[in-house]
Amino acid sequence: MHLTNICMRTIAGVFAAGYLSLSAGAAFAQSGDMDAGEAVYAKRCLQCHGEDGDGLGPAAERLNPPPRDFTLGMYKYKTTGFDDDIPNDADLTRMIRDGMPGTAMPGWGDMLSEQDIADVLAYIKYFAEIEDAPEIQVDYGTQVTSSPESIAAGKALFEEGDRCTECHGLEGKGSAIKKLKDDNGDRTWPRNLTKPWTFRASNDPKDIFTRISVGIPTTQMPSFADPNSKSSVSVEDRWNIANYVASLAKTDLVVNPENFVIQGGRVDGALPTSPDDEAWATAPPSTFIMVPQIVGEDRFFTPANDTISVRALYDDNSVAIHVEWDDRTKSIPGDDKAASIADEELFEDSVAIQFPRDIPEGMEKPYFLMGDGTNPVNLWRWNSGTTDAPQTGTVFDAMGINDQQARADNGELSVSSSYRDGTWRVVMTRALTTVLPETDLQFEEGRFVPISFFAWDGSNSEAGTAHTMTTWYWLQLKPAASSKPIVYGVLAALLSLLVLIWWGRGAAARAKREA
Amino acid sequence: MRIPRLLQATLVLVGVYFGFIVVFDYILEAVIPRSLLTMYMFFVTAGVFMVFTYDEDQMRELAAPIKAMVEDPSKRGVRNVVFLLIPLLVGYGVYDKTMPSFDAPVELRTIHPAPPSTAKIYGERVNLLTLENPFRHYETEDPEQFAEYVEEGAAVYIENCQYCHGDKLDGKGPYAEGLNPTPLNFQDIGTIAQLQESYLYWRITTGGPGLPKEAAPWISSMPVWQNFLTEEEIWKVILFLYDYTGHAPRSWGAANASH
Repeated sequence: MHLTNICMRTIAGVFAAGYLSLSAGAAFAQSGDMDAGEAVYAKRCLQCHGEDGDGLGPAAERLNPPPRDFTLGMYKYKTTGFDDDIPNDADLTRMIRDGMPGTAMPGWGDMLSEQDIADVLAYIKYFAEIEDAPEIQVDYGTQVTSSPESIAAGKALFEEGDRCTECHGLEGKGSAIKKLKDDNGDRTWPRNLTKPWTFRASNDPKDIFTRISVGIPTTQMPSFADPNSKSSVSVEDRWNIANYVASLAKTDLVVNPENFVIQGGRVDGALPTSPDDEAWATAPPSTFIMVPQIVGEDRFFTPANDTISVRALYDDNSVAIHVEWDDRTKSIPGDDKAASIADEELFEDSVAIQFPRDIPEGMEKPYFLMGDGTNPVNLWRWNSGTTDAPQTGTVFDAMGINDQQARADNGELSVSSSYRDGTWRVVMTRALTTVLPETDLQFEEGRFVPISFFAWDGSNSEAGTAHTMTTWYWLQLKPAASSKPIVYGVLAALLSLLVLIWWGRGAAARAKREA
Repeated sequence: MRIPRLLQATLVLVGVYFGFIVVFDYILEAVIPRSLLTMYMFFVTAGVFMVFTYDEDQMRELAAPIKAMVEDPSKRGVRNVVFLLIPLLVGYGVYDKTMPSFDAPVELRTIHPAPPSTAKIYGERVNLLTLENPFRHYETEDPEQFAEYVEEGAAVYIENCQYCHGDKLDGKGPYAEGLNPTPLNFQDIGTIAQLQESYLYWRITTGGPGLPKEAAPWISSMPVWQNFLTEEEIWKVILFLYDYTGHAPRSWGAANASH
């Protein structure tokens, strides 16, 4: 008993010493050395954030969002109160260490030591002469754990009086009804809450709670803890909203690197022509990353969209491809409301599906950016139309980004579309085989066909070579189940059994004779 | 006790088969395509058969258990089981082969293809074997000037390359995941540290479309930088790549010295 006691005390002592040294380490790490920080800054940060910390590095124009201007001393992602501009050191440390998804800011935790980060933090704070510690912290109260009740309560608050839907839209996709700008006059877009991978500081309910409580300083995202705001809500209700927002994360339309083959399903009866037809639920979606066109002239650096989801169905005669992507704006040139949300010039929204003209025999394919001189591509392109003209589906023959020939509309490609709460859904249908095999891809059951995608957001100045795109993936029109493999398998088994029996009998007879 | 020859041969084949899988899939972390594995195993089986049937006696010893199984009445039970299993296996094999395949075609591509000896860059034929970075000599002769060039290269990099190759030069830029092949990681010891500056110059100026066929130029997202940047900008960005990562370019001199 006595011995155990001593042991316990020793263990407690070791723990206490460990705790002390840990907290001493933490205190040490916090006292960053500004001169050392300047050297780290010059090597790792200056290129984007600028020599003077004003965010005007050489790439500032091409980054969306632009690099932070440290001279303002204002930070978007912080856990101090909405009425205290000064962030906690831990907030800035987190951004430096973990980076900010959906931006050009990488996480430096694998390249910079804790001390390096503390040093550079001291230097960054110096740009705005932040010397005082923050005084007000976010009041988290008691966290409401996520439950169907909490999510339902959060959804009601989200929609009540257009509290959140005003900018984030009914489905949380940020379908815009007004043009947003930050304090610097730069265009900002409301977060698409169904894409957690674009959240700068994670979609953990606690982080979402912080954003709702603090707002996002320098942007039009306000604080909902501010008692002076008529939209403000209690701590408990902010937890409910946070739980609801966290529940919006897409589950079936997320990028999965293993899912790079679009499996086209065979349908008996008519192919669905409407993008909202229930039959599409039977086709498994594949979701791909879209990147801006930064390969050919003119390069485009400020895309508004980052994924596209694709399904395919086919019957005896035709193949129908269903593409779906989030777009905050329905861009119909001539429409006043659309024009008021758009950048200076409003273009049509558009999407294109790319196929090689010929299915390659080996692994060679056309150049992924609209083909090349020896390997042409077919582009099936849909345009959203204007107030004066309806939507269009056009086939292009392309041999490069600057060599696209639109075919006259001969009805070979039929299109239909729908736009709802921040999502476009488009179906394009064409015959499996055409009378022009020299210029058209011919589809065959079971064959793997390279496929890729382009999209234009007309309200985000996307037109011409300014667009988003994917690399090559595969489309396979999945053959319907047939009895052929079973029949062949059974026949082969029977045949080999006969051969074996014949062999066995012959051998036994021979053995007998020899004996 | 001696292991029977037939069992020995079987153990060797099974061992080699799983050896391939362990080495490729787990140690090298590059899953071996099943078609390639089948081809390898064909040669291995042929080799094992030749070794185990080197002369008549060995041949007889190898075949003895099979012969006994078929001919010896006392082994009837084993024989019946084997004679049932083999047709089942054959049947399954045929069934499996005639089932339509849902595996996309495998694409094997050379990451660092052999460079040509000359290439057409900025409208002129350039000899890549003798080409050198015109700014490299400042590193020893005028370090201050050299640092300035590196800084200019850094600006070119941030403005043009970080979207894919990343702020940290680790190949994890904001758009990297949407590309196939993924952008090269310059921090990795297996990339620019193994290459000469002239090789980088060739890869940067002529980009994806300038690759030879074995490197699948049709999927590389590397732009043709001679369309966007000047010769000097490209040499400076090369200085920056080596400076930032701390790697040294390979040179003909070093290569000769090591031989």
